[in-house]
Amino acid sequence: MNGRVLIVVNSIYQLLTALHLRRTLLRESEADLLLTDVLPDRDRYAGRTEKAGLFDRVLRADCAAFNREFAGKKDSQLDPAFRDIPRKLGWMVDGALGAYDEIYFSNFDPFTRLLACCYYAPQCAFICYEDGFSTYVIDYLRADRAPINRHPEGRKIADKVQAVMLYEPRLAMRGDNLENRPIPRIAPEDRAFRDLLNGIFGYHAPESSADFIFLEQSFRAENIRTNDIELMQLCRDAVGPERFIVKAHPRNTDNMPALLGLTRRYLAGVPWELFLLNEDPSRHTVITVCSNAALTPRIVFGMDINTVMLYPLFEGRVLWKEDEVLRRYLRTFQLQFAGQNYYVPRTVYELRETLRFLGGNA
Amino acid sequence: MNTPKVSIIIPVYQVENFLERAVESALAQTLEEKEIILVDDGSTDGSPAICDRYAQEYPDLIRVIHQENAGLGMARNAGIDASRGEYLLFMDSDDTIEPDMCGEMYRRAADAGDEIVMCDVRIIYVGEDRTSTVSTYPRREIDLADYIANGSNITYSVNKLFARSVWEGVRYEKMLFEDIALIPALVTRHPRIGYVPKPFYNYYRRPDTLSTSPVGATADIVRAFRMFLSGGDPRYREEIVYCIAKQLLWNMTQSRPLFQADFITFLQEHRQDFLLNHYIAADARVKKLLDFLKKEVIPDRIICAHIGRPIPEEYREEVCSDFPYAELIDADETYFPAESLPESVREALSAGRTAYAEEYIALRILSERGGIVLMPEMRANLGLKKLRLNTAFFGFEGEETLTAGCFGAVAGHYAIRALLDSYEGTCIHNRALLPLKDRLRDFLILNFHLKPNGRKQLLKHEIQIYLPGVLAYDMKDGESCCKRADLPAPEGFEVVGESALKMWSDRILENWALYKQALGKLPAAERRQAAVPPPTTGISPAELERALDRRTQEVMDAYEHSTSWRLTKPIRALGRIIHRGGKKQ
Repeated sequence: MNGRVLIVVNSIYQLLTALHLRRTLLRESEADLLLTDVLPDRDRYAGRTEKAGLFDRVLRADCAAFNREFAGKKDSQLDPAFRDIPRKLGWMVDGALGAYDEIYFSNFDPFTRLLACCYYAPQCAFICYEDGFSTYVIDYLRADRAPINRHPEGRKIADKVQAVMLYEPRLAMRGDNLENRPIPRIAPEDRAFRDLLNGIFGYHAPESSADFIFLEQSFRAENIRTNDIELMQLCRDAVGPERFIVKAHPRNTDNMPALLGLTRRYLAGVPWELFLLNEDPSRHTVITVCSNAALTPRIVFGMDINTVMLYPLFEGRVLWKEDEVLRRYLRTFQLQFAGQNYYVPRTVYELRETLRFLGGNA
Repeated sequence: MNTPKVSIIIPVYQVENFLERAVESALAQTLEEKEIILVDDGSTDGSPAICDRYAQEYPDLIRVIHQENAGLGMARNAGIDASRGEYLLFMDSDDTIEPDMCGEMYRRAADAGDEIVMCDVRIIYVGEDRTSTVSTYPRREIDLADYIANGSNITYSVNKLFARSVWEGVRYEKMLFEDIALIPALVTRHPRIGYVPKPFYNYYRRPDTLSTSPVGATADIVRAFRMFLSGGDPRYREEIVYCIAKQLLWNMTQSRPLFQADFITFLQEHRQDFLLNHYIAADARVKKLLDFLKKEVIPDRIICAHIGRPIPEEYREEVCSDFPYAELIDADETYFPAESLPESVREALSAGRTAYAEEYIALRILSERGGIVLMPEMRANLGLKKLRLNTAFFGFEGEETLTAGCFGAVAGHYAIRALLDSYEGTCIHNRALLPLKDRLRDFLILNFHLKPNGRKQLLKHEIQIYLPGVLAYDMKDGESCCKRADLPAPEGFEVVGESALKMWSDRILENWALYKQALGKLPAAERRQAAVPPPTTGISPAELERALDRRTQEVMDAYEHSTSWRLTKPIRALGRIIHRGGKKQ
C-alpha cells in the first residue's frame, strides 16, 4: 500500500499491531496514528510514539465519553450521534484528519462509525485489524447484533469495510463475507522491533513473577459471577504458593486474588506481549480461564509456551460458554493451531495432573 | 456266596454323627438278599472306625472300602465297581431309608422287568421341625416324556433302584452335582422305568451343607446341565430342555443367584432350544427365563497383565478355587506385537514404567475379549462372580480415586474402547504416563457424569461404580469382592486406604448423629433411662437378660423415631406392596 493511511488504536494490543503493520505491510505508506482515550496511558504512549518517528503524525482523539454515551442507544436515540459529523470529529481529534485511502481500525464503536460516515466517499477503504479472538468470531455488523447496525448512519460502516486483517486468517469464523487477510507474525527474534516497543511502552522487567502465571480476566468488572477464584486456589494449591502468581486484570477495580491472599502482587506495569518478547517465556506456564493474552504467544509470535486453558472448568455466564462460534474457535485453535504445550484440562483432576506434569508440586 | 439282589452303596465322608443312623436303616431293610458297601472317602473324623466296626460286626452283609478323598461321585463309582447285586441303590451317609425300600422296589423291578425303579422322597428340614414329601409322579405308571417334563426327583440318585446293566460303561463324573450330570440323562435313556409311590427315602436337609453354601465349584452345576442336555436321549430333547429350564429358573432366582451369570451364559449357548421350546412357551412362569436371554453378561474370564513380575501363586490358587471355569489370560509385554502398541505405551516400556503398560494391555484384552481385569496385586473372592451381571463395572478406591486393580466389561464395550483409544494422541494422561485410575476417573466424569464422591452409582444406566469396600478393600463382611493383597497386614486386620477409611468413618458418624438426634427428642426421663446402662453388679443373669432386652427395645424405639427411619417410611411401605405383589405371582 503506497497511499495514505490512518490507524485508529484503542488498546495496547492494537497499538502493538499498529506498530507492527507500520513496519511491515504499511511501511511504504504515509501513515497517521490516531490514539483514542480508550487506550490507558494514551498520552504517555503518544509522546513516545511521536518521538520514535514512525508515523507522519500521531493524533489523539477523546472519544471514550462519546462511545459510552451512544453504545447502548437505539433507533432515534442514535440520531444525535451522527449529526454534524465534521464538527464532532474536529472537536474530538486534536488535529485535522487528512484524506486517507485506507483507515485501519479494530472496534466498531460509535467513533469509528463517525469516521465511516465522514469518509463515506468510495476511495477510502476501511480495514478492520485484529483485536484478539473477538475479531475472529464476532460478526459485529450483523443487523440483529446491535441497534446501531440498523441505524441509517450507524450502518454505513458496513458498506465501507473491505477486509479483516488477522494474524491467523484460517481461524476466522465470523460468518460474514469479509475478506480475511494475513498479518505477518511478529518475529520474537526481531530485536529492532522489540527495542522500539520497549521504548514506546517503557518496558522494564517485572519485579515479581513466578513459574506459573495466572492471567486474570475482567469478570468482576463486568459483574459476572464465576468460580475463577476457586480455580486460582486450585492451581495455587497444585503448584505451591511460592511458584504461583496472578496477573490481575487492569479493569477489575480490586485485586481480589491478592486481597484474598491467593497470590503476591504481580508488579509489572508493562504489556503482557512485551513480557513475552523480553523474558524467556519457556520458563513459565501461563494459566488462564480463556484470556486472549494466552493465545497471543502462539498467534502473534508463533511461540509454543506452556499454556493451560481452564475454560472447560469455568462456571459462569460468559461468551465462550454460550456462543457456538467461539466454542468452535477454541476447539479449532486447540486442534489445529495450538502447539505441543497447550493444555485444556477437562476435570479438576486433569488440571492437577497437568500442573504436576508441568513441574508443579501436586 | 449268592448274588445279592440289591447292593446298597453308601459313600462316607466326615459323617461320624450320622453314619450309624444311616447304616442301621440299611441293615433294617426287610429284603434279606442285600449287601451294604461303605465307601470311606478319606474321612478324617471317626467315620472310618465306625465303618470298620460295622464290617466286623456284619461281615456277610457289610464291606468297607477306604480310599483317598475323591468326592461323592468317585466314591459311588468305587461302590459300583465293588458291588455284586442285581440292582444298585445309593444312599447318602447322613440320610436314612425306610425298611421296605429295597424289598418293594426290587419286587417292582423284578415283576415288571424295569431297569430303573423310583420312589418318593421325604425331606426332613433339620432344625425346623417340619417335613415334606416330594411325590415323584402323580400316576403309578411312568409316561417318560411327561415325567421328564413334569415329574419330580429326576436328578436324585438316591430315590432310584438301578439294574446293574444301567451302569455298564457309565460312571459318575468327578464334580459337584454329579447327580444332575448323569441321573436324568440315564432316565431318558432307559424308558423301562417303574415307580413305587411311597416316600422310602428320608433326605435330611441341613442348612450348612455343601449344596447350599456356594463355593467356586458350585459352577459345576452348569456343566451338569450341559451334560444332561448332551447325554440325554435326543428324542426327549424338548422335555429335557424344559426340565432344565425349570431348574435353571429356580437356581438363578432362588437358590444360586450368585451364579446367575454362568446360568445366563448356558442359556445363551442354547438359545434356540429355549426359544423354540413348546413347553416353555406354554408355561408363563418358566417363560420368564427367556428374559435372561437378552441380558448381556461379562464373560467368565480373568485378565491378568504382568510385566517383569510373575503372577503370584496365591493369586492362581484363588482363581482356580473360586473361578474354576474361568479362562485365565496371563499376559505379559509380548502379548501384543510391540508395533501395535501406542507410542505412550512403548515409551512407558522403554522407561521401565511397566504399570502403565500393564494397564494398557489389560484394557486392550478387556476390550477385545471381555472379562474381569484382576491385576497381580489383587485377590478376588467368589463374590466377584455376581459383578459379571454388569455390562461394565469399576470401583472406588478412595473418595475421589478409582481402583484400576479390578474392573470388568463385556467384550467390545464402547466405553472400554474409548478408554483404549485415549492412549493414542497427546492428552495429559499419555504425556505424563498417568495411571489408568486417573484416566478412568476423568473419562467417567466427562462422559458418564461420574461423581467423585466414593459412593455407589450407576452411570447412564449401564456402568456400575462400586464402593471402596467392594473392589479395593475388605471393609464389611459380605460386601468385598476383591481387595489389595500387596500391603501386608497383621492377622485379623485389613488394609484400608486413608481416604476410604475417613469416608467410611464419616458415614458411621452421620448415622450416629442421626441416632443421637432421635434420642434427643425423647422425654428427659426416658433419655436418661436410655443413656445410662443398667447396673451390672448384684443382678441375676435373668435380670441382666431383661435389662438387655429393655435396652435393645429403647434403641429400637429411638431408631423408630429417627429422621432417616421416618423419611424412608414411604419407601418401605412401597417395598412391602411390591414384595406382596411379587409373592402373589
